[in-house]
Amino acid sequence: MMKPIEYVDVVVLGSGPAGLAAAFASAKQGANTVVLERQERPGGILKQCIHDGFGNLRYNETLTGPEYAYREIQQVIAALVPIRTNCFVASVEHGEHHFLLNCISPSGIERISARALVLATGCRERTDRQVFIHGDRPAGIFTAGLAQRLINIDGLIPGNRAVILGSGDIGLIMARRLSIEGVQVEGVHEIRHESSGLKRNIQQCLEDFDIPLYVQSTVTSVVGSQRVKAVHVAAVDVKNMPIMSTEQYIPCDTLILSVGLIPENELAHSLDVPIDPVTKGPVVDHVMHTMVDGVFACGNCVHVSDLVDYVSESGSIAGKHAAAWALDGCADRTLVPVSRAGNLAYVVPQMIDTSSPQRSASCYFRVRHTIERTTQLRINSEGQQLDCLTFDELYPPQMERFAINETIFSSIKQPSADISIELVLVEASHD
Amino acid sequence: MATSLEKIQSVMTKKYGSALEISTPGSSIRLEGSLDTYQMKVEAGWTAARFGYKAVINDITVPDVQEETIACSSYVDNVLERLHFDVAIIGGGVIGTSIARELSKWNMKIILIEKEEDVGVHTSSRNDGMIHDGFAAKPGTLKALYNVRGNRLWEPLASDLGIGFKRPGSLLLFSNPAMKALYPLMADRAKRNEVDGWEFWSRERVIAEEPYVTSKQHGGFFLPSAAVISPYKATVALAESAMLNGAKLMTSTCLTGFEIEHNTIRRLHTNRGICTASIVINASGNWADIIAEMAHDRFFSLHHRRGTECILDMESSRWQQHIMSMPSILQVREKTKGGGIVLTEEGNVLIGPTAEEHPGREQYTTSPSDMIKLKKHFTLNSKLSMDQIITYFCGVRPCTYEEDFIVGPSDNISNLIHVAGIQSPGLASAPAIAADVAEMVIAKAKTFMEIQPKANWIPKRTADIITRRLSLEARDELIRLDPSYGKIICRCEQVSEKEVVNALHSTLPATSLDAVKRRTRVQMGRCHGGFCTARCIDIIARELHIDACDVVKKGPDSQICKGNMSHDETNRIC
Ligand SMILES: Cc1cc2nc3c(=O)[nH]c(=O)nc-3n(C[C@H](O)[C@H](O)[C@H](O)COP(=O)(O)OP(=O)(O)OC[C@H]3O[C@@H](n4cnc5c(N)ncnc54)[C@H](O)[C@@H]3O)c2cc1C
Ligand SMILES: Cc1cc2nc3c(=O)[nH]c(=O)nc-3n(C[C@H](O)[C@H](O)[C@H](O)COP(=O)(O)OP(=O)(O)OC[C@H]3O[C@@H](n4cnc5c(N)ncnc54)[C@H](O)[C@@H]3O)c2cc1C
Repeated sequence: MMKPIEYVDVVVLGSGPAGLAAAFASAKQGANTVVLERQERPGGILKQCIHDGFGNLRYNETLTGPEYAYREIQQVIAALVPIRTNCFVASVEHGEHHFLLNCISPSGIERISARALVLATGCRERTDRQVFIHGDRPAGIFTAGLAQRLINIDGLIPGNRAVILGSGDIGLIMARRLSIEGVQVEGVHEIRHESSGLKRNIQQCLEDFDIPLYVQSTVTSVVGSQRVKAVHVAAVDVKNMPIMSTEQYIPCDTLILSVGLIPENELAHSLDVPIDPVTKGPVVDHVMHTMVDGVFACGNCVHVSDLVDYVSESGSIAGKHAAAWALDGCADRTLVPVSRAGNLAYVVPQMIDTSSPQRSASCYFRVRHTIERTTQLRINSEGQQLDCLTFDELYPPQMERFAINETIFSSIKQPSADISIELVLVEASHD
Repeated sequence: MATSLEKIQSVMTKKYGSALEISTPGSSIRLEGSLDTYQMKVEAGWTAARFGYKAVINDITVPDVQEETIACSSYVDNVLERLHFDVAIIGGGVIGTSIARELSKWNMKIILIEKEEDVGVHTSSRNDGMIHDGFAAKPGTLKALYNVRGNRLWEPLASDLGIGFKRPGSLLLFSNPAMKALYPLMADRAKRNEVDGWEFWSRERVIAEEPYVTSKQHGGFFLPSAAVISPYKATVALAESAMLNGAKLMTSTCLTGFEIEHNTIRRLHTNRGICTASIVINASGNWADIIAEMAHDRFFSLHHRRGTECILDMESSRWQQHIMSMPSILQVREKTKGGGIVLTEEGNVLIGPTAEEHPGREQYTTSPSDMIKLKKHFTLNSKLSMDQIITYFCGVRPCTYEEDFIVGPSDNISNLIHVAGIQSPGLASAPAIAADVAEMVIAKAKTFMEIQPKANWIPKRTADIITRRLSLEARDELIRLDPSYGKIICRCEQVSEKEVVNALHSTLPATSLDAVKRRTRVQMGRCHGGFCTARCIDIIARELHIDACDVVKKGPDSQICKGNMSHDETNRIC
């Protein structure tokens, strides 16, 4: 006999920083909350990020990943929210006003019925095949996250001589980490014309360790039948296609890929939650409510963030409103789409619920191309400018945040057809 | 009737100048000389195959293409020294393992030797997994004969082996309205090949069956008997079934030579010792001509046709119901079926294969141009796109110049049977080929030994437990028996720790990460091992009592990690 179904108000899926913040916020509202985590320990990806640089905004301190996670976990434990580890959510059934989760755990199948769900399932890494690296298939090819886990959690060193593809912060941090463990890092290759990592990381992770950075360069193929023997690298043209005449043979035994993260949304898919094709995460309103009533989402499964502080912020919002939804019943939403104009790759949230009691919104965006000039971000509604913010420089890899405060929120006309966010270059007034 | 040498010489000179030297040793035709490219060499072979000889020996050299030698396992011991077997099978692909299982029905001492650390590492794990209907094979060929028979045998066989089997059927789309006129011709061919069923589908019927099909279709030809299996699971299961019935299976064991006396193989040399066998079966896939040469019986040559395939995310399979392709004007002159969309037994959409003549017998390098060739198949279904690709790989088909199978006793060596040139549909044909080969072996064996069927032969192999395919109730019960069935290791494919452990302690245990992958599907999902590799290393090391640093991806020298911090500072590097 299977264990009987357990009834709760809010289930949080995933115990990374997003899920932990959501659980805490939900419990604070008085909702009966439970966190489900498939790994052996809570903390999500932070467990393996032993470098510092976490929590500058949330804690006004520079913490390591595990330290940041520890604080969040303690908070959840203090709020008496159970965190069930080794609990894999295999499927979700959407019932009338509830969700039935089927979970696999070493103590059997657990079935949990919840009024509201918070998806905080994080993301996965793009692999060598997804960036179409060809050649042989030997041992010695790792995604950066896997290499990081092997070193920082399992104490295993992936190789002796490594080439890194991708110069985002994760790639840079891994270059340093490998060097510290005695691995010869031959270089970091970046297909774009500049590193997408923080300037600080380029200094501290590459320059301080004499690791060369090659921009507009990519790995074209891998050589070696059993273990990596070498990789071929080549310069790329303006369309990012390798220029074969520049191809070089670099002997090495390890290739580390840091080529992007993809939000994990299998469960969202199974619930038919609409997905934004750009972010690859669910479309959400400003309280992180997806387009399926009762399903909330936060953190990296909505869009990939580079700052954990923002992830926690989205978790707090999602948790608070999931609890309200579960406890107070279902109010109708008045969803106004947030459209974007100009050089914006995306804006999250994609919707504003103008009838929500939450009268302010945190918004995040990324630009499509680098802008090295002063730019204005304008918030318009019904042909009227509600607000205008100024940014000095904008880079695609960097996620930016802005807030719609209560005053602006209240000035959104009701009913309103749309809210548009527009990026406008400011004409240089002098020089 | 074979064409005369003068006639051949004049045809070949017209095509290739005087570069080639032609002879007719035995009943074969042999080409020597030199040509500029491998493609030209292969084409010369095809031309020679039309002259009516038994087979083509193609010894044309091509600049920059070296004759390859078999890479023998570095493992050395003496466990086979002085042992005698009634039958020795060379090669642990789907052909060798099928034959081993068939022969295990008899009271004979059988050994199968495979040079890799696992069975099914080469062509048998690098294909579409299709059990073809038999329509595509040229009527009258061994391919046609064995394919249709094999198609009938696979369903009950899969059930005995405890592996999955699905029969989605195959739809050949017509690319223009005129092709409908070909229906009677197609039906006639299907009839001649004795294919089990065929139907004409109108444009509307196709849309009803495949809602996302391209608008460029004009109806199609449907073959309901086309089926799919997991080719690597099948090969492992066949091997295990043979082992359960007493066959000896030796992996990491390479045949390095024969001792021949009086036209008979007397001894087999391997890296594990020298043994003897009364009958030898050459089922060595892409090396079959080299093995034939070791037996002084190289009456044919193989050429190697590489095929690349890609696998799409599990999600994509909900948009496709049948195996589907759009052959260009029926590919009359093509050597292959042209590829298309396949639904794998395990639930992915597979696109491919390509076909390219390439000299590497075991070179599985892929290139961007392969992906471009696969693009056209994506357009057959409006929901499929290249960004759903989670992986791609390539396999090599061992082909004779006659483009047909060779199945039969050697003309020159009294105790050798060749099963060579087993290109597609070799997987589909395997059970039928094995049944015929078993008969040949029995006939030979009867001449020197008392031979009887085993009374206690066990047809059934217990199916592996695949928890993701079970009901929640059944999973719950299993977890109560062993909680590690409730510990999910691979999030993409929902594989539990216990399934990995089972693979490491099965009849033919996995010894590498790739072998675990073929048996359990860890690493086969969309994250491609990003999440589970570390867990798998840990479990393999624990279960095999080895250091985490010694866990390999695929056989010797493929260690995944190079150092272990838990060792002391001085020997951290393994
Ligand atoms: C290598 C690396 C370095 C970084 N460095 C920095 C830095 O220096 N500074 C900074 O501020 N940020 C950094 N970040 C970014 C930040 O830490 C992450 O964006 C953040 O941790 C994401 O949090 P999350 O909760 O959304 O996802 P995760 O932390 O990934 O958590 C998701 C959790 O959900 C669980 N889960 C998923 N599916 C299921 C299921 N079906 N059932 C049960 N559980 C499930 C997962 O096991 C996981 O524990 C870094 C990120 C990475 C990957
Ligand atoms: C891209 C592609 C797609 C295909 N699709 C299909 C399909 O959908 N349906 C179908 O029916 N067929 C298909 N085929 C064909 C099918 O895969 C082959 O016909 C079949 O796998 C051949 O099996 P085998 O046992 O002869 O060869 P292999 O699997 O190659 O086995 C031969 C074995 O012999 C071993 N060996 C060689 N030399 C020695 C030695 N000296 N000592 C010890 N061991 C040795 C090798 O290591 C190898 O494991 C496809 C082939 C390709 C390449």
